[in-house]
Amino acid sequence: MRTRTSASVAAVAGLLALPIALTGCSAFGVGDDGDDGGKVTLTFQSLAYQDSTIAATQEIVDAWNEANPDVQVELVQGSWDNVHDQLVTQFQGGTAPDIIHDESADIMGFAEQGYLADLSDPLSDDTKSAVSDDIWGTVTASDGSIVAAPTLLQSYVVFANTDAFADAGVELPAGDALAWDDFQSLATQVAGDGGFGLGWGLQQPTAAVMNLSLGFDGTYFDGDAIDVGANELAVPERIHAMAYEDGSLDPVSLTQSGSDVLPGFFDGKYPMYVAGNYIAQQITESAPEGFNWAVLPPLAGTAGAVQAANPQTMSVAAESEHVEESAAFIDFFMQPEHQAALAQGDWLIPSSTAARDLVAEQTAGYNGWGAILASGEGLSAAPFQSAVNYPQWKDQYATPALQQYLADEITVEELQAQLTDGWNSLG
Amino acid sequence: MSKSMRNPVARPLQYLALLAYMCFLAFPLIFLLTTAFKTDREIRSPDPSFLPQSLNFDNFTAAIERADLFQAAANSLLTAVTTTAIVTAVSLPAAYALVRFRTRLRAVATGWILLSQVFPFILIIIPLFLLLKDIGLVNTLLGLVLVYAVWALPFALWMLQGYVSAIPVELEEASAVDGAGRLKTLWKIVLPLLAPGLVATSLFTFINSWNEFFFALVLIQDPDMQTLPLALARFVGAEGQVQLGPLAAAALIACVPSLVFFMLIQKRLTAGLLSGAVKG
Amino acid sequence: MTALAAPAPPRRRRRSTEGRDAWLLVLPALLPVMLFSVYPLVYGVFLGFTDAEAGLNAETNFNGLDNYVALAGNELFWNSFKIGLIWAFSVTILQFLASLGLALLLNLNLRLRWLARTLALVPWAMPPVIIAIMWQLMLNPNYGPVNRTLESLGLPSSINWLGESAIALPVVIVVGVWAGMPQTTITLLAGLQSVPAELNEAAAIDGASTWRRFWHVTLPALRPIVTAITTLDLIWNFNSFALVFVLTAGGPGGTTMLPSLFAYNEAFRYGNFGYAAAMGNVMVVLIGAFLILYLRAQMRSRNS
Repeated sequence: MRTRTSASVAAVAGLLALPIALTGCSAFGVGDDGDDGGKVTLTFQSLAYQDSTIAATQEIVDAWNEANPDVQVELVQGSWDNVHDQLVTQFQGGTAPDIIHDESADIMGFAEQGYLADLSDPLSDDTKSAVSDDIWGTVTASDGSIVAAPTLLQSYVVFANTDAFADAGVELPAGDALAWDDFQSLATQVAGDGGFGLGWGLQQPTAAVMNLSLGFDGTYFDGDAIDVGANELAVPERIHAMAYEDGSLDPVSLTQSGSDVLPGFFDGKYPMYVAGNYIAQQITESAPEGFNWAVLPPLAGTAGAVQAANPQTMSVAAESEHVEESAAFIDFFMQPEHQAALAQGDWLIPSSTAARDLVAEQTAGYNGWGAILASGEGLSAAPFQSAVNYPQWKDQYATPALQQYLADEITVEELQAQLTDGWNSLG
Repeated sequence: MSKSMRNPVARPLQYLALLAYMCFLAFPLIFLLTTAFKTDREIRSPDPSFLPQSLNFDNFTAAIERADLFQAAANSLLTAVTTTAIVTAVSLPAAYALVRFRTRLRAVATGWILLSQVFPFILIIIPLFLLLKDIGLVNTLLGLVLVYAVWALPFALWMLQGYVSAIPVELEEASAVDGAGRLKTLWKIVLPLLAPGLVATSLFTFINSWNEFFFALVLIQDPDMQTLPLALARFVGAEGQVQLGPLAAAALIACVPSLVFFMLIQKRLTAGLLSGAVKG
Repeated sequence: MTALAAPAPPRRRRRSTEGRDAWLLVLPALLPVMLFSVYPLVYGVFLGFTDAEAGLNAETNFNGLDNYVALAGNELFWNSFKIGLIWAFSVTILQFLASLGLALLLNLNLRLRWLARTLALVPWAMPPVIIAIMWQLMLNPNYGPVNRTLESLGLPSSINWLGESAIALPVVIVVGVWAGMPQTTITLLAGLQSVPAELNEAAAIDGASTWRRFWHVTLPALRPIVTAITTLDLIWNFNSFALVFVLTAGGPGGTTMLPSLFAYNEAFRYGNFGYAAAMGNVMVVLIGAFLILYLRAQMRSRNS
């Protein structure tokens, strides 16, 4: 008993002594933030998450650091999943990185709160002329200041299991665009008996619906007023019909994430699979051997093969002490060869035309790239990006309402009402 | 003697119930354990076996590489140990004073201990965030330690009070009569008797800060400063690409320290909580 | 500390030095508590009456009851409050019943009791984040053992447990019960062990059945502990965050949006700090009122 007690005392004493040994301030992350000897260190919070893109980003940063010994860039890894919350706390806590990677639909609210530096002047003319005015519109705040450089664009594409198509005796569609009507009948054709033609991970449906709706002229917003009419509801209605009328779309997949559904595409359970084009990278990485796939022509609604452009963005924090240097890094980042490398890592489409041409040249003949780049031609600015309360509306109203509608729990009229009333209640 | 003994059905039913409980409690753990050793192919195989075909540690190496688990574990350890040290050092004298001296403080302290449980964290975290920002401790482990220490204090005090009041006052009085000073009495008589309770309390504090998530979520943004729960939560999130095997392995690694501590003090903790519950 | 080192003072002086000693000993605990928990709490309550929001150099103004007027009409908040109540009561009650059953079994002289007892403690040692991850794996629609077991029994097996709005909340409640059983079980077990054996024996001699003895002897003796643990469980469950945040993040369709998650989002996603603090205030007042009623009712029935 006695030895046991003293052992306990020793344990407590040890516990007490340990932190004293460890209490260097740096261990706790306090201090150590100064510039050493005129050298500037910029922090760049990147959201790249696929191994190929992380490597490409690192290479760009390394190249910059080598060329600019006085302005060093330190790469910090962030994550798409919590970027919004993280930026709120970082801005509020004064710990935001100098250079911020995000996407247009998410970042514009921060611009209105004054957290982002105006880059109209600091960005070079080369950068500005490389991107179309339409795309610049997605990163321009209500006071006319440019708060980010648009980098890569995403579109939604239809992936097809070519062997499954062959087995079903259905020909792969060709041409510049795939009309929604044709897409729907295609899904029934390849479904076969009792099977599904299509898997679509729409656990987070809002972005996909908003982007694709532009193909039907579904703009949702006009300034700060919402308008949900037939055009806006066309895409959700068609998805709903495929799941509950034709039975060609697996309703369970609608409640799952894109990567949850992917294995079903690999297994042949779903001959077609709709996702963001970046999924192509995952397909090349993890598809089973001998799996043959293709990207179908871009989906077209009544307004053509148009989708909303929601570019990834590079911004500079307003509180950064080195806005000029940060903008110079963004210029460097925007150079065609760098954008092309990043785009290929993520299978995304560069917003800069020079970079897009470079990608087309470098990927000529690769499976899928032609169709993906083609889908980029139809990307244009949509009003929802500049609606300030969009992120909150998306979380609190649009996503739940769309989820319920796609789970066949509410009617399309209820969906329309929830979307409209929700926006109006946010004031 | 007892009626239940005479009832021939009761015993088997009791064992059946116990078995059901054990399945409910243990199955998720066993599943986590087996998943951590399975290859990705085994996990996704359409016709899976319950046990892994072989012990493969690939998931563990993958998990460690991928989520910077070492850095996160080191951060968690540093935070939890420092918090525990501070809480122990501060709550021991306070608990002693609250029990032994009859002052109004005790009522106030008890009130505070109860009250601090009722308030939702959201009310505390916003001002705390602003406060830590003003003193430059947002996004630092030191800030996290301060917060953890303060919010672990009430429970530690409550537990320790139970242990202190279990020590007979007569022992101290006898020592005082023998001419020993109070400090000496504390050191020679009270502390050794309190040691088991102290160990239980400090390990409890350790586990609480090791497990904590909410404050870390708000206060820590820098990946280098992430604690283990934070790193793991983000590991899950990493856009769609959830690798089940490495995830299970990472989860398992994160449980090890607290499970080990827990096993060590299991008996004592139960006893300590009991005395706290009855006396406090 | 020097005051303590002095030889034991004579009896007469004892009272005054005692007070001073007490203060000295308590001060190291008191100061940080004042600074990092009393002050933030008071400040937090106050923020609930302001329009504090995110923004560079955003000004904060006192806005009286505006937040509460807005809250009164905020359907989403009340919906989330309702979800919070369903969650807290379901978890607390189920947890209590399950734990009571387990504690009664553990109190019997059964074989393998040690194993069950250890198992019952394990969830306590696991971070809530890990518990959530583990159950996500369990409930994975494609590879999780739950669906696989159903499949092998020939039952419907393509259920997305955490992804379908009709069942997500009940599923999350089951996970909550699993996670919270240790505290309740151990406390109840400790209580059972402190019930004097003579009481039960006396009742047994009188010929009372097992059930009657449980109802009329054990349960009344256990009452104070039951009150304490259910009260604490209820508070903890109502305020819980990490488990559901990782498990579903409030989805699908907001069906598992506990009030703590809702308020977190209001503050740290949408930047409305004052409004979020007001939600916190409403939560405290309503839960506080409920607790007072509950504890008073318990007290009264104990007295009668």
